[in-house]
Amino acid sequence: MSDTSLSNMSRQPETPLPSPARWVRDNLFSSISNTLQTIFFSLIIFGLLRWVLGQVFSEESDWESVATNIRLLMTYNYPADQFVRIWVAAGTVFFAIGSSFAAWNINPAITIRRLVVGFVGFGVFLLLCAVIAPSVAPSSIRNGMYIVGAVLAVGGLVVRRLVPGAHLRFVPFSRLLTGAAAIIVALIWILPFGRHSFSDGELTIERGVSVASSTKVPWTVLFVVLLVAFFGGRVLAARFAPVMRRALIAWWVIGPAFVLFLVLRDPAFDWGRVWSVDVPIAAAFALGGGALLYVLARPGRDDLARVVGAVLVAFAIFNWIAAFAGWYPMLQKVRISFLLVGLVTLLVPTFAGERSARIRLASSWIGLIVIVHWLLTAINTESTLVISAPPFLGGLVLTVTIAYYVMLASFPLGVLLSLARTSKMPIFRVLSTSFIEVVRGVPLITVLFFFSIMLPLFLPRGMGISDLAAVFIGYTLFSAAYMAENLRGGLQSVRRGQYEASDALGLSTVQRTVFIVLPQALRVAIPNLVGQAIATFKETSLIAIVGGFDILRIANSTIPNQPDFLGQKRPALLFIALVYFVFTYSMSKSAQNLEKKLQAGQAR
Amino acid sequence: MTIADRALTEELAGRKDMIVCRGVKKWFGDFQALRGVDITVKDREVMVVLGPSGSGKSTLIRCINRLEAHQEGSIVVDGVELTNDLRNIEKIRSEVGMVFQQFNLFPHLTVLDNVTLAPIWVRKKPKAEAVAKAMELLERVGIPEQAAKFPGQLSGGQQQRVAIARSLAMEPRVMLFDEPTSALDPEMIKEVLDVMKELARSGMTMIVVTHEMGFAREVADRLVFMESGEIVEVGTPEHFFANPKEERTKLFLSQIL
Repeated sequence: MSDTSLSNMSRQPETPLPSPARWVRDNLFSSISNTLQTIFFSLIIFGLLRWVLGQVFSEESDWESVATNIRLLMTYNYPADQFVRIWVAAGTVFFAIGSSFAAWNINPAITIRRLVVGFVGFGVFLLLCAVIAPSVAPSSIRNGMYIVGAVLAVGGLVVRRLVPGAHLRFVPFSRLLTGAAAIIVALIWILPFGRHSFSDGELTIERGVSVASSTKVPWTVLFVVLLVAFFGGRVLAARFAPVMRRALIAWWVIGPAFVLFLVLRDPAFDWGRVWSVDVPIAAAFALGGGALLYVLARPGRDDLARVVGAVLVAFAIFNWIAAFAGWYPMLQKVRISFLLVGLVTLLVPTFAGERSARIRLASSWIGLIVIVHWLLTAINTESTLVISAPPFLGGLVLTVTIAYYVMLASFPLGVLLSLARTSKMPIFRVLSTSFIEVVRGVPLITVLFFFSIMLPLFLPRGMGISDLAAVFIGYTLFSAAYMAENLRGGLQSVRRGQYEASDALGLSTVQRTVFIVLPQALRVAIPNLVGQAIATFKETSLIAIVGGFDILRIANSTIPNQPDFLGQKRPALLFIALVYFVFTYSMSKSAQNLEKKLQAGQAR
Repeated sequence: MTIADRALTEELAGRKDMIVCRGVKKWFGDFQALRGVDITVKDREVMVVLGPSGSGKSTLIRCINRLEAHQEGSIVVDGVELTNDLRNIEKIRSEVGMVFQQFNLFPHLTVLDNVTLAPIWVRKKPKAEAVAKAMELLERVGIPEQAAKFPGQLSGGQQQRVAIARSLAMEPRVMLFDEPTSALDPEMIKEVLDVMKELARSGMTMIVVTHEMGFAREVADRLVFMESGEIVEVGTPEHFFANPKEERTKLFLSQIL
């Protein structure tokens, strides 16, 4: 009976690696077949590398088209005089990232040896590129690659020799983070990416100089913010980790929308109207709903709660029907609030409890209403920004925003759909199966077309839907269907004994699903779900077809149409390929880490 | 008087009825698993159910907490009749705890979370109280130091003891055991049986389906032999092992003893 206790404090040390020469001999040239394969695949890899370098350095590729258009690629037509808002928005995101690293104690186990091997490998790669690069490559760059490559490779080998126990000692994440931030900031300050400026609609380009201070300084500040959030967060997390985590989760769900609609879009609030109409409505729902929940959450009032919840949901649905038929006017946000009240009331029996639990429920409700109403008011107000061509979002900001919120919203929807599909009640099964099968049979383009072009035709007069919302809703429904199928596989992997044990303990169906079935199903479904998320991120490029200016469209159409860079597609496309790769690889990698973490103590 | 009632000793006869099954019949499609079972389990009684595989022993106890639904007959647990009414089912399930052959612990929760989950969310107990009770129960079954571990890190015997503690945390009136030691290595069977013996001595009403004859002889108040979906013989351990009445019982005993 072995007690394999896996604590986070001690880690299994890695086995020492044999010398590089030995490793090469054992792994690459150990037999005739291995040697032949090594030669064959090396030739292919060298060939590919040579081709890529040829593209990168070819005379037709004007990399200035990327360097000077970075702002365009990132934010498209966001007005330059308001750009500080973008920096503030990025700052909040960086702050949240740093705090999240701290609150969840992100600490991937990277030994000194592995880090050094990484450096050596990268150095060797650079040397290889320098050797293979075509003759048209500028000698300054080629020499640069030789020097940096040699420094990294030789330095790495020397460090490995000198540092004792390199395979046993771990590099703390704080040092990795600081090091990476320092390298990135240094690159921004040192490398001559070129400078551009707009004056009177004229674009002036200065090649070969380092970036303008208006870019260097904000990026430096961003990374400083990241590090401050991380180190400060660590101090706080020692005492308040659970609270921090809950706050950060709430932030990551609603924060980006807040930043988007309040900071970036800058609504021009009509304060008179806000104080006389919006605030009273919000207060009514917050306090009224809170009191209702507090009263209904008492144990023993389950049936009453369910009845009240059902009535409220029915009323909310009736409101929407009335809106379509034009029977009586009602503010959209009031309709939404009634629906929220109804849904939360239906869930009250599951979360009922003694006094402190009820107070927590009521205060969470109040917080929810404040945020939702604030957001809705902001969305419905005109913006102060002067945009040449709406919408106000474009480039990478648009891609990331759409992808992020589609992933976030389609996940719970997908969970509900898959639960409905595997439910015992025929109505849920039939409805969800038809929805999933219909949506899976249609291409994403069709869905996007339908929602942005056809749906507004069906809406009654007075009800509009912005382009952004249309794309978001369509894409979310599409993605939810795929998530549902991925999750269904996970649901089927949960053993029947788990259901029986939960039933024997007296857990209700909802409790059983939330506490027992879903956690196990999700663990199994992670690879599929992450694959779906990555696909979602990349397929955002399709919003170009319905009028969105995402990063791919800018690289493909906008940049090649600029008079200075006519026909220059390749550099921009290669650049955004790199950008996509960075995002999707990070998603895969964090999914792998998540899987490893969840395996802790499970398999025997 | 049913066969079962005939075997009641004086002492047992005086106690109240905990579980009363009358004419319980259950079919799985065309196959009849229970052919009219009549049995009364008294308060604080330890009843051991024996029989060859396929005899309906597990089906019977799974019917008692509605993991299976019986088609004919009646089952009454502590005065509440077991029907399709959800409220009755919930009430009965909160009174009846079950320990499974495959343990069925929740692998993604720690041992402590496994034991406190139901008291917190079903009985709405405050967390501190639930944790205190859980630690007390884990001590009772002998493994308080494993509280922070995951089930996958424990041995089979330890997992089954956690399963017992988890059921006890709901303070049931009756505990059902469906072949609790059948999936265990021989050296771990003893530790689980010791826990069950202590539980029996403390006065819990237990129905145990098992092949452990030593346990049956030592702890059972009554033994029930089932075959092909019906009760063949009921008796106290002394009578059952010494001079069984039915031929089928004698045949079964000769095969396993």
